[in-house]
Amino acid sequence: MAETLTSRPTLESADAHAPHAHIEHDTNTGISNTKLGMWLFLASECLLFGGLITTYLLYKNPLEGPTPHEIYDIPFTSTSSFVLLMSSLTMVLAVSAIERAEHQRMRVWLTATALLGGTFIAGQIYEFTVFVREGLGFTTSRFSSAFYTLTGFHGVHVTVGIIMLVSLIVLSLRGKLPEHRSETVEIVGLYWHFVDVVWVVIFAIVYLIP
Amino acid sequence: MSITSHDDVPTEVLDGAVKDYSRDRVYVYTAIFLALITVVEVLTYAFPDFPAWSGDLVIVALMLMMAVKFFTIAYVFMHLKFDKPILTRIFYTGLVLACFVYLIMLFTFRIFWSGQHI
Amino acid sequence: MALTEERPLALEAGDTTPDYSPAGVFTRPTASTGWRSWITTVDHKKIGIMYGAAAIFFLAIGGFEALLIRAQLWAPRGSLLSADLYNQVYTMHGTTMVFLVVMPIGAAFANYLIPLQIGARDVAFPRINAFSFWCFLGGGIFLNSSWLLGGGADGGWFMYAPNSGVIFSPTHGIDFWNFGLIITGIASLTGAVNLIVTVLNMRAPGMTLMRMPIFTWMALVSMFLLLFAIPVLTSAQVLLMLDRLFDANFFNVAKGASPLLWEHLFWIFGHPEVYLMILPAFGLVSDILPVFSRKPIFGYPFIVFSGIAIGFMGWGVWAHHMFVSGIGPISVTAFSLATMFIAVPTGVKILNWLATMWGGKLRFTAPMLFSIGLITMFTIGGLSGVMHSVAPMDTQQTDTYFIVAHFHYVLFGGAFFGFVAGMYFYWPKAFGYMLNESLGKTNFWLMLLGFNLTFAPMHVLGLQGMSRRIYTYDAGYGFELWNKVATIGAFLLAASVALFVFNIFYSRSKARSLPPVGPDPWDARTIEWMVPSPTPAYNFDPIPTITRVDDFWYRKYGETADHKLVRFASDEEACQPLTDGKGVHLPSPSYWPIVVAFGLPIVAYGMIFSLWLALVGGIIVVGGIYGWAMEPPDDPDLAHDDHGPADHASDGGASALPAAAESEAKEVETVG
Repeated sequence: MAETLTSRPTLESADAHAPHAHIEHDTNTGISNTKLGMWLFLASECLLFGGLITTYLLYKNPLEGPTPHEIYDIPFTSTSSFVLLMSSLTMVLAVSAIERAEHQRMRVWLTATALLGGTFIAGQIYEFTVFVREGLGFTTSRFSSAFYTLTGFHGVHVTVGIIMLVSLIVLSLRGKLPEHRSETVEIVGLYWHFVDVVWVVIFAIVYLIP
Repeated sequence: MSITSHDDVPTEVLDGAVKDYSRDRVYVYTAIFLALITVVEVLTYAFPDFPAWSGDLVIVALMLMMAVKFFTIAYVFMHLKFDKPILTRIFYTGLVLACFVYLIMLFTFRIFWSGQHI
Repeated sequence: MALTEERPLALEAGDTTPDYSPAGVFTRPTASTGWRSWITTVDHKKIGIMYGAAAIFFLAIGGFEALLIRAQLWAPRGSLLSADLYNQVYTMHGTTMVFLVVMPIGAAFANYLIPLQIGARDVAFPRINAFSFWCFLGGGIFLNSSWLLGGGADGGWFMYAPNSGVIFSPTHGIDFWNFGLIITGIASLTGAVNLIVTVLNMRAPGMTLMRMPIFTWMALVSMFLLLFAIPVLTSAQVLLMLDRLFDANFFNVAKGASPLLWEHLFWIFGHPEVYLMILPAFGLVSDILPVFSRKPIFGYPFIVFSGIAIGFMGWGVWAHHMFVSGIGPISVTAFSLATMFIAVPTGVKILNWLATMWGGKLRFTAPMLFSIGLITMFTIGGLSGVMHSVAPMDTQQTDTYFIVAHFHYVLFGGAFFGFVAGMYFYWPKAFGYMLNESLGKTNFWLMLLGFNLTFAPMHVLGLQGMSRRIYTYDAGYGFELWNKVATIGAFLLAASVALFVFNIFYSRSKARSLPPVGPDPWDARTIEWMVPSPTPAYNFDPIPTITRVDDFWYRKYGETADHKLVRFASDEEACQPLTDGKGVHLPSPSYWPIVVAFGLPIVAYGMIFSLWLALVGGIIVVGGIYGWAMEPPDDPDLAHDDHGPADHASDGGASALPAAAESEAKEVETVG
């Protein structure tokens, strides 16, 4: 260059070279791709459940058929809620266990979580059958449609979670879940806690608020 | 040879998880706390005339307890308190957005005050 | 999928016994050429190209539907289409154009460009990326198969309930619409998560957020909009599906339901939706204008922040689609004000683009012409939009052709012109040959003429009182002249699109006798122009380190003391040579994404026709997901490279390297 250039040009030597770049094996945020992805997904789920909860709030007073407070069995649902809440505890204990490389203990806690989740679902199914017998079918009223859709959607989410938990247990039993893959369990845990947290909201808004 | 023994991959590195049991104690205490709040929530149903939550106050009380449980689970069980802030920001964006749009929608349906509703 | 996307290597260098048995039954496919390589590809560039090709295919379908509409409306009492058929045609036209053309073209550019613009090798979840594409394609084909299976959806693209319920629309068309869009919604949602994680996590060293090209920024905002808007549409669609298929009461007015529930849910989705359609086009134009003005974009931070502002504010204006639905004066006023405010950030962008061109050394190439086309046409559309924001004015305009004019100006004149600009601009990078320039210029003028002839008269028709969504009109209202002009314009427009497609084939055949186009035919500014054309599979070798915005420009040009540009490096020096890509590991192809994606339309057909079929589809989906999760990891002979290198530059708030990097380095094999 004949003249000195004022704005410093970029030098090619500053570029990372392929083998070197390998060691810098990290993400810009310091969080793994999968964990970041799961949180983004959970954030979007807020919008989904929000829509269904809002629909419920608009339709909770039916024009015919049983009304919410005629039909709800709060003691029963409270027990169900408690069960799901405790499953969050067992879940986080499972994550804790695999982070300490205690695989058997992790499997125990995961099984407990799945069983508690299964109990919750069984409770939901039982609750639904009782309601139907008492005259609240899916098509009975606007309240019934909204109620069954919201809680049913949540139940499907719990069921998918249980399937994921069982898959983790099976993987672990077959030796395919070593401790440096603990993040997998943590991410399933995030999903599970979110499903629990949605129930915290549903329990308050749907069942308890008069 | 196995990939690494447990010592070579210290569990501290796994997003701050600590190799001891005191974390578990925090979790158990948190679960007990959540259970207690749930008990109080159910009490609002069992004793609807209790002064702390009589009349319309019960909605405030229930919403408050719901929020406490919600954020406790998010911060402790879902590790938001121990993780990098960007995760909290992402989750809050979705949560706040949902609350914002759906509350406005409910307002246009006028469900928060008496009068003709749908 | 944490199970296999981010696993460390199965085997260290030289080691043949893994300490845990990797899962997997089938080995991963290895095809790198031929049709099989496209079916199993996880390469973001191939996926981007497939999105673009599919979008052009659906453009032909939606365009044909548009021509049917215009032919029917040529004269009063047209007899080409019955009222029922007309309803189907305009519904499918709108649905196809919004969901199967504009959104996928945005996805095409986002997929192709984002990793290149941030200096990454691929996206965060390559197999999910492939799944998104096949899912979208399946959903689009499923939706259009309604034509052959009982008729298209007929409730308008906005599908207002209870008009869209089984009483008023008993055929299956709307069920096809519903499930088709739920499937494309899954594609959109997974794609959004993928690209957001990519941008946040996989930038090259030195590529801070405020050094990214504007397109990546606008695409990032669009992805956030998509992430949060799609679930709202999904919840509305679930309600509609339950009403139609299972007799629910969400829109059953006799049981106390409100039609406004649908309207709110749909438009809470629908308004962010239109912003996410336009923002990628804005991004493309923001990157193209500086190249052909030989000036950096004016006010980079303002363009970025106005894009973010549009993203946020877009959530607060949805009920401006509902001004006459009876929500009451307070709501109407609030939304009217909010809508007026949102014009501000868009105005900021337009001013910044004009300021970029002002005083620049302008080159009126085809991409530049189309970009200027976006600015002018979108401004016109934006002005009519501002008119709509004034609620009393909107009361006259709503449901008339004035609205039709507005959204076609912003969507066609805005988004589509911007996308065509992007295609002319990036064609050499993607395919290794330029689209013919003189054909391109002709393409522009013909499209501009046809477009304005079609949609400008609709302003007049609307103000004269011609209603939307009517299959015909009577003589004597004064609608005849402008309808004829619009129809002529529509056919000219179709010719211009055909010219574009012709240009592709013509240029491709001519390319064989022309010298190969180099990496940087336009003398551009951003780092995707550093790599050979067409882009090699590995993208960059080596990954560049970024020091500023428009980093590539400053690898070519310096400035003297009196601000004269001096080029100091030739293409050979500043750009990367084609290498054999040794030492670069790319994610392996996979069968499972297309398998899982294939199962979803089968579930949908089953829900409509026979639940046993839905069960079969469900088994395919679940089985496919397990196959995917259990798939063997990538070829263990090569090291992993699906994370971005660490961000070494200080970017204020960058996280410290966790110790994981060191221990991972011990586990990860380096390639000699």
